[in-house]
Amino acid sequence: MSYLLSFHWGWLVGALLLGLAMGWIAVVHRGRATSKVVAIWLSVLAVALVAAALARVIPGRAGYWLDLWLIMFACYLAGCAVGSWLRDRVVSRTAPAPEAS
Amino acid sequence: MHKLFRWAGKWWPGIVPLVIMWGFAAWINTAPLEADLASRSTAAVKDTVLDRTRIAVDGRDVTLAADAFSEEGRRSAVIAVEVVPGVRLVNDQSRLVAEAKPFVWTAERDVVRVTLGGSAPLPAAKARLVEAARRDLGGVEVADRMTLARGAPPRFENAAHLLLAQIARLKDGKMTISDTNVSLSGMARELGGREAIAAALKNLPEGFSIAANDIKAPPYVFQANKDPVATTLTLTGYVPDNNVHATIATAAARKFFNEKVTDNLKASVGAPSGFGPAVVAALGALSRLSTGTLVVSDREVKLSGDALYEGAAAEIRASLGKDFKNWQYKPEITVKPAAGPVDGTVCQQLFSELLTKGKIRFEPKRAALDADSAGLLDYLIETALRCPNANIEIVGHTDADGEDAFNQALSEKRAQTVMDYLVKAGLPAGRFTAVGYGSTQPVAGNETDEGKAQNRRIEFLVR
Repeated sequence: MSYLLSFHWGWLVGALLLGLAMGWIAVVHRGRATSKVVAIWLSVLAVALVAAALARVIPGRAGYWLDLWLIMFACYLAGCAVGSWLRDRVVSRTAPAPEAS
Repeated sequence: MHKLFRWAGKWWPGIVPLVIMWGFAAWINTAPLEADLASRSTAAVKDTVLDRTRIAVDGRDVTLAADAFSEEGRRSAVIAVEVVPGVRLVNDQSRLVAEAKPFVWTAERDVVRVTLGGSAPLPAAKARLVEAARRDLGGVEVADRMTLARGAPPRFENAAHLLLAQIARLKDGKMTISDTNVSLSGMARELGGREAIAAALKNLPEGFSIAANDIKAPPYVFQANKDPVATTLTLTGYVPDNNVHATIATAAARKFFNEKVTDNLKASVGAPSGFGPAVVAALGALSRLSTGTLVVSDREVKLSGDALYEGAAAEIRASLGKDFKNWQYKPEITVKPAAGPVDGTVCQQLFSELLTKGKIRFEPKRAALDADSAGLLDYLIETALRCPNANIEIVGHTDADGEDAFNQALSEKRAQTVMDYLVKAGLPAGRFTAVGYGSTQPVAGNETDEGKAQNRRIEFLVR
């Protein structure tokens, strides 16, 4: 794991930044969110992929690419979560002010 | 937490650039990652003794194919690759090197090269053997046909190196180690090589034994050439040691009364047993030839040349080697064409010349002829044959040692012995009279050994 992180750190930072940006936008985004059903299916898919990676059932390069995808995706999600949380902090600090005045 | 789920529903648009980024990352990184893992896996098994190691990396999966020399080594190699950071799976295709039974190693030498064959226990041992062969043989081509195998006996390498060190002593041949049995065959390069190899084999490591040592020595050659024109006797070839050398040189000087002896003999081991006496006897036969060559090669004695008269030829053929068992004799004796007849005066001159150059020798204080005088007697007979009408008086003299009566009798007996010898050789007895004068007619003083030796003599007088 640490080898994968150190070998691909540039790409992972990129994924993290992408996630930060996306998370930042998501808080104030007015667009359509994914439905609950789709979200569940996506989660199941993610769990299945993680399970496949841990079980090392996919051989050779495809296996490596799956590992790479999963850690990039994990970094993206972490970035999103942090981004959203930060934006939320910013929004909630500025929004109540007009109500108070 | 609820908020997080709400936001998460809107994170999906970022997936599209993430997928594109992932595609690039995979495209760019796959080859360097594989190369990196391959180099680090190779480094990881470097310290394990393996042969034909092939490492292939597919993604993060490493395929290890190698020949190992022990199950332990094989397992440790696999584990070493497994713990390389970044390696996901090891596809183990390693196997054990076949076990050779029996474990056979050979070193073969021919005219142009040395070929190492059979099995070697480890790659490093194999390389050391090839290197040792190159070093010991300086310049000779070394062909390595060894394969690697398990099952070498303990201390195999020491034994193989010991044999390799001997191969320089071979002209051609083969050395084989089969398990712990060592066998050798071939021809030594030089005299003494066979013995040197046999001596070196005594240091074989414990457990090894010599199954067969069929190293042959090159022929042990001794040659003597009698040249009547240059009046030389040339000795070439080998003698076993200085004692035998001295014996042969002394015998040659005594037997060849007329010839100058050129001694080019070299000392070397490897002589067949009984070499000295056989050569001395053969030199005696050569001394009776007018011209001839003696070649002693191992136990084969070849004597060729011209005898001085018919009877001598027959006698030489019959007597050659009769005292020596296990020796082969090949006389090729012809008879020298008889020289033209001369009158008595010339005969007298020829007798005197011969008896000045050489002396008829007897056993000390006895009348028996010394074998060393056979050559001189042949020349005297040949001369006597050239003047068939001359009557010859054979006169014996002694030195002044001992009683006069004994000396008188001795001188008469000695003269008679010579006369009998001539008669036996085919000369008519009527032509000869044997006379003895004891010590009454000295030609030198009897005070010195030299003078006494001169006084002890046989004279031929043509009447």
